[in-house]
Amino acid sequence: MKLYEFQGKALFREAGIPVPRGAVVTASDRSGLFAPSAVKAQVLSGGRGKAGGVLLVSTQAEAEKAAGSILSMELKGEPVRALLVEEKMNIRAEYYLAVTFDGEAGTPLFMASASGGMDIESVAEHSPEKILKLPVDPLWGLTDYKLRAMADFLGYENKKEFASFARKVWTLFREKNAVLVEINPLVVTDSGLVALDSKIEIDDDARPRLKDLFEKNLAEQAALTGVEGEADHGTITYVPLEGNVGLISDGAGTGMLTLDLIRDLGGEAADFCEMGGLTSPEVMYSAMDQVFSDKKDIKSLLVVLIGGFNRMDEMAEGITAYLREHKVSIPLVVRLCGTMEEEGKAIMKEAGLPVYDDLRTAVADAVRFAAGGN
Amino acid sequence: MAILVDRDTRVLVQGITGKSGILQTKSLIDYGTAVVAGVTPGKAGTAVEGVPVFNSVADAVREVSPNAAISFVPPLFAKDAAMEAMEAGIKLLVLTMEGIPKHDVLDILSYASGRGVRVLGPGTAGVISPGKCKLGAHPARMFREGKVGVVSKSGALSYEVGKTLTDAGIGQSTVVALGGGPIWGTTQRDIVKLFNEDPETEIIVLLGEIGGGTEIAAAEYIAESVRKPVVSLIVGRAAPEGKSLGHAGAIIRGNKGTAASKMEALEKAGACLATSPAQVVELIRKLG
Repeated sequence: MKLYEFQGKALFREAGIPVPRGAVVTASDRSGLFAPSAVKAQVLSGGRGKAGGVLLVSTQAEAEKAAGSILSMELKGEPVRALLVEEKMNIRAEYYLAVTFDGEAGTPLFMASASGGMDIESVAEHSPEKILKLPVDPLWGLTDYKLRAMADFLGYENKKEFASFARKVWTLFREKNAVLVEINPLVVTDSGLVALDSKIEIDDDARPRLKDLFEKNLAEQAALTGVEGEADHGTITYVPLEGNVGLISDGAGTGMLTLDLIRDLGGEAADFCEMGGLTSPEVMYSAMDQVFSDKKDIKSLLVVLIGGFNRMDEMAEGITAYLREHKVSIPLVVRLCGTMEEEGKAIMKEAGLPVYDDLRTAVADAVRFAAGGN
Repeated sequence: MAILVDRDTRVLVQGITGKSGILQTKSLIDYGTAVVAGVTPGKAGTAVEGVPVFNSVADAVREVSPNAAISFVPPLFAKDAAMEAMEAGIKLLVLTMEGIPKHDVLDILSYASGRGVRVLGPGTAGVISPGKCKLGAHPARMFREGKVGVVSKSGALSYEVGKTLTDAGIGQSTVVALGGGPIWGTTQRDIVKLFNEDPETEIIVLLGEIGGGTEIAAAEYIAESVRKPVVSLIVGRAAPEGKSLGHAGAIIRGNKGTAASKMEALEKAGACLATSPAQVVELIRKLG
């Protein structure tokens, strides 16, 4: 779950992390507008500043005008539905501070840079030495020597203040099960460090243990967008593509391999639909439903199954159940092997459906059928 | 020899009385894996497929000395189970479950590295040393004993390539699945290193996919230290940008994590590149 800046800042405030005084403004409620201020678009995507989604205003009239103009913007395809209006800060320096995790090293990672601001991506690309990356052992926590190393790297004199600030960020990261807490910029003002921006993403897998946090923030987002949070698709990943060969797989790796083979053999996949490696007849059924309802013009459907945890009898049950209830007039190419393969093949045979064993042959036939061959 | 699991592997199944636990325990035993214990709190004294169930890992260790664990414990309880296994002295942990909260995974990995525990996963299909031991979901008939070591993020892709090799009469020393990310207890580089040091493995097959940089890290290690032939297949060449394809880690951002960049790094490191499982077989045959 990604949070809007104003939602992230509410968490900052709760955690004792200094943020500017501000108010949320929407098209229907502009009562919070004030000046002088910074008027900031509330969107979930990045790069807002560069796209003109933040305006500094001196008078109430300017604030009204800025609010009107930003509320009519679309940033990376996302309509702006709310603004955060904040007091202007007297900025002496702009830092970058973030905590996330390095999945390949399997460890949380603090990142700090004295070159904060809008261009941190280009700093990362062109002068990576300007960003300090400190792995933090989650069980030890954020140790004093790492806090000193970060403050030194940033050149921030008040080490005690920095340590207290960074510790609060770390605690928030841990307690709220965040996968990212990013402050860019973290500004140095006359009165010390202030989080001028907030980008927070919470781990969806932690939802069952953070019900209140999820409910509150998703409800706020739904109230703004008028759209309920994304429906739970279970284990299915569905990505629509441009071609005419429908594709369903029970593994991400074999799904990607099949995508490649379809192209290598002269076809194009209409979608990528992967069910996960531990699924059920119901998931198989919904995967077919998903592809057929979204892609009405596919010319063949290729189902690639190789069961480890997945049982082929259950997959065959899902497929045959779908076909009993729906009229499917395009060729269906099913490759099925692995756990409970005999049982699965027997179910398919009873339903009069052919089964392939070799992946390449199955892909070749699906591509040929899609091109109008027999 | 093989890597990770062998004839002397004694397996503990955590969450043995759940649906997956029961089904997989049967499949491990059918393969010939020595499943010596199961743990489900409160179920001591019962048995699953003839395997004694204990209340705690410590009890199981005291009674029947398991040295590896496979976990089917539900995501929210997976961390507790993993910590328990590690504290009881288990040195190889296979975490099959997807959806374990990421901070829990980070805690598990921190604890593991301090104790010298090897963690496979989370979200892994596990590992098989054909003819010796299966500690995962690999369908038995797709694998046979031999000299080719296979490492893959995706479980299904490791079956696909295992099947193609086995159909072609090429056996495997060990086949390892690592999970789809975005956090890995063990990466391709770790496994390539183990295969490089394993006298029984003569050829290494590295299966990779779009997203992240673990294949690049493996390529660096191959360039520096590996003299055994390496054959590599990277999937997702036809993948669109900016979409996670089933694995959280399998996503292309700009020109980062593309199949092309990984294939280039591996080729530079001296690996032979295949674009399909059939071609993996052809390349291995050429290598003799």
